[in-house]
Amino acid sequence: MAEQGGPAAQSKAVDESKVSAAELKKRAKADKQARRAAQKEQEGGPAEVAPATNGAHQEHLAQAQGVQQDQKGKVAHAKGLQQPKPSKQGGQEAKQDRGGPSQAQNIPLRSRAAPTAPSKELPKKDNTVVELLSHLYPIQRRPNLAGVSKDVHPAVLALGLQISTYEICGSSARCVAMLLAFKEAIQAYTTPRDTSLPRHLVSHHLSPQIDHLRSCRPLAESMGNAIRWLKKLIVELDPDKLEHEAKDFICEEIDRFVHERITVTDQAIAASARNQIRTGSVVLTYAKSAIVEKTVLQAHEQGTRFRVIVVDSRPLFEGKRLATSLMRAGLEVQYVPFSGLAHVVKDATLVLLGAHSMLSNGRLQSRVGTASIALQAHKADVPVIVCCESVKFSGKVALDSIVLNEIAPPEELLLSAVPEKPHTYPVGAATTAAVGKSAATGKDAPEDDEPAKLKTLHDWNSAANLRLLNPMYDITPAEYIRMVICEYGSVPPSSVPVVHRLANEGM
Amino acid sequence: MPSSMVGQTPSLTGFLKSLKQNDIENSIELFISLLKRRQIKNSRPCAIATTHLLLRVVAEPKRKWDAQKLIARVRNVGRRLIAAQPREMAVGNIVRRVLGVIREVAERDEDPLTDSEFSGSASPITEEFQRPALPTRFSEFSPLHGAAAMPHNMHSGRPGTADSVSMDLGGTPQRPALLSTNASYAGQGPPGTSLFSILQHPQGRSPVATPPPGTQSPVTGPSPSRRAIGGEIPEKLDIKAEVIDGIKELQDELDVVDNQIAESALDHIHSNEIILTHTSSQTVQKFLLTAARKRKFTLFHAEAYPNNHEATHVTILNGAQGEDDSDERWKPLTSLGITVILIPDSAVFAPMSRINKVILAPHAVLANGSLLAAAGASTIALAAKTHHVPVVVLSGVYKLSPVYPFDTDELIEYGDPSKVVPFEEAEFTDKVDIVNPLYDWVDCDLVDLYITNLGGHAPSYLYRIVADHYRVEDIDLNAKLDAVAKKG
Repeated sequence: MAEQGGPAAQSKAVDESKVSAAELKKRAKADKQARRAAQKEQEGGPAEVAPATNGAHQEHLAQAQGVQQDQKGKVAHAKGLQQPKPSKQGGQEAKQDRGGPSQAQNIPLRSRAAPTAPSKELPKKDNTVVELLSHLYPIQRRPNLAGVSKDVHPAVLALGLQISTYEICGSSARCVAMLLAFKEAIQAYTTPRDTSLPRHLVSHHLSPQIDHLRSCRPLAESMGNAIRWLKKLIVELDPDKLEHEAKDFICEEIDRFVHERITVTDQAIAASARNQIRTGSVVLTYAKSAIVEKTVLQAHEQGTRFRVIVVDSRPLFEGKRLATSLMRAGLEVQYVPFSGLAHVVKDATLVLLGAHSMLSNGRLQSRVGTASIALQAHKADVPVIVCCESVKFSGKVALDSIVLNEIAPPEELLLSAVPEKPHTYPVGAATTAAVGKSAATGKDAPEDDEPAKLKTLHDWNSAANLRLLNPMYDITPAEYIRMVICEYGSVPPSSVPVVHRLANEGM
Repeated sequence: MPSSMVGQTPSLTGFLKSLKQNDIENSIELFISLLKRRQIKNSRPCAIATTHLLLRVVAEPKRKWDAQKLIARVRNVGRRLIAAQPREMAVGNIVRRVLGVIREVAERDEDPLTDSEFSGSASPITEEFQRPALPTRFSEFSPLHGAAAMPHNMHSGRPGTADSVSMDLGGTPQRPALLSTNASYAGQGPPGTSLFSILQHPQGRSPVATPPPGTQSPVTGPSPSRRAIGGEIPEKLDIKAEVIDGIKELQDELDVVDNQIAESALDHIHSNEIILTHTSSQTVQKFLLTAARKRKFTLFHAEAYPNNHEATHVTILNGAQGEDDSDERWKPLTSLGITVILIPDSAVFAPMSRINKVILAPHAVLANGSLLAAAGASTIALAAKTHHVPVVVLSGVYKLSPVYPFDTDELIEYGDPSKVVPFEEAEFTDKVDIVNPLYDWVDCDLVDLYITNLGGHAPSYLYRIVADHYRVEDIDLNAKLDAVAKKG
């Protein structure tokens, strides 16, 4: 553009007199505009497929790049009689020019450039943002590997996909899986010639892996603590160590970390918590916590006779998996949907909860719904015990569930089977509509003989002011928690910052 | 089973249609089976069906009723209906309301006879006890009706004014100025009406009122001349016609209850409020729609999985249902510019710190101010209490039950476990106990305001409304009727 047209115009200008220079300018401008229009047509298609959020960012970036280019153009043709293009047009060209590489660099932060576009008839997608929680958007999930940076190790790629689709779910599981994937990535690393492993590994090799994982799903607190520990470990390595020794050392340390802070800790917590379960206890738990599962199974193996109530909720239905595994182990299990909470909490004698993280003001961040469970249990005078490894303890504080949270894609709230259109009888429509999430209904298409086709939740995009909110976590106030069991013992929630300093910062 | 229902899914509309064709006993049986099979669910359809059925029972052709026989008949029918589905409290409420209507009509009939013993004055005075009915919002059979009408002279101590009273319906009599005013009633009658007139009832009308002896009751009658004749046969026709009128008033009340509740919407919802609600209640939707016409607010709508979530989704996307039979729906809130945010039930605690108000619709309201609402309401109310968010409950008076919740567990109905886990998952459903309660009991401490078709009340006031609408002797339908009454 600027650079191509420049030399030709310059030679012409040198040859001819000044009078025709104005003509030349006009001609050159017209040529450029024609060229721009042609290019736009060619690249206008693919460039505009990216949704508005992408486009907005790209435009902004492209404008910045366009400005850069203009400056270059000015410098290069200080003597040229061509006027520098207005930054906007330059920006557009720059966008088309650099569409490829800029997209590759931008995509890790936004994950909406997937070729699979659901029935998007609306031009804007911004109406999916719930204003109250706008600081938690955009939603970070990566459903496929489009546009991933080349630096990401395959093990980490695979892990990212598994995390994004909830194959690996739960903060301990994610932390362990992440560390194991990092082991592989570190083993595959080679130090460049003019730098040393401690200085180079973290910023140039580890960081892209972490960024990729972050783009698949926001990092859990345990993962954050583990990464901080790992970075500290690497940076403090002896630079004289041979590379393969250093890498082996790092991997051994990772193994030790996983063993000490998760595996052994889990056993210690389970041993301590199972003493809380006595004969005739009714243990209530929510969703699926690995540590609670271990505790309950160990208590069962010990021979204590008790029963378990599992409360479950939409959309993840993790409680069902827990109930299945407990059922297979031979326990007496009662399974209730979230609406049945008030009814079953009266029968419970103990509530065992898992954690995503414990905050420094004593509050518990856990799967959304936990706060309601703790509240109902507190009202019914049932003790609430949280089992949480110290690796999940955090220095953050939060006053409500809006400050720290993660928003999952609203599409997860859609029921998997397209439900039968409910009949417009005055008797509650729920009685005649399809039942359950996994029940396969015979009718996939809406009935055509109904005069008015009722919209279902699958049409939620068509309602301009409708938002679906799918938060993943909520914050339980410290007053509702009796005790937190970690590897350092059983502590009240007010001791969380002390344990955090001891375990995560004072190493 | 009656042939008219063959080939259709049984429901309220089908039942109402079949009422016209079937004889009474069949209709009762049909309704009982609908209740037992839960093919007719939720308070309003049950209330509507009960009202229509009782109308048919009372209006039985070629049957002459006197008060006690009618009461016994309605009690019997009511007992059967309630036994069919004890947790459907609207059925019992309507039965008790109708019994109240009958008793009131009966008392009015008895008045001329009893008072003639006391008064000793000539029969023209019986005619004077007709009060011209002024236009009033209150049901003729509500005790508040008297508040809006010009009362006649009170018999006690003022025989002289009897002469100045005009007999026909148009004239308004002179009234001695009485001291007390009844400012406490919502509908203000003309100045000078008093509480005193309300309390002029014979014994048994209202458990909280102590009527002075020897006073007459205020009467309003569409046909004073009939009563003046005072024969046996006209009285019985009278009772039937009047009770039928009363039941029709009940039907009208059921029709307009949502509109009346929605009238106070603008008083309670203001701009930029964030409101939380749950389930697909049409009352709440209409309430919010009325407010949405003038105010912009945000609504968090919890979906009430697994029993009501599909209806909730349909209501959010398509709008509240119109009249029970039609396909027309009201506009959805989103089309009026209201931001509606659908959240799963587990997420009610999370945004509660930002919510200004919680609006619930109950299944039934109990005499002490506590309520039964769709499952999940208890969690919502508790979370609201924790964050000091006011909880507003919208319910018509027909949902208000005189039953006191001694055992709250007994009031909870359980639903289909296959909605939680389908029966195809055989191992799971076999070995795991799946519980799906349909309702939650919410204590009266958690509710801040009740909005009924009579206006807004604190939970502590509901006992008065119960007293106004139901008679003590009707609360327990299994009790034996009075020995004296049985004779008649």
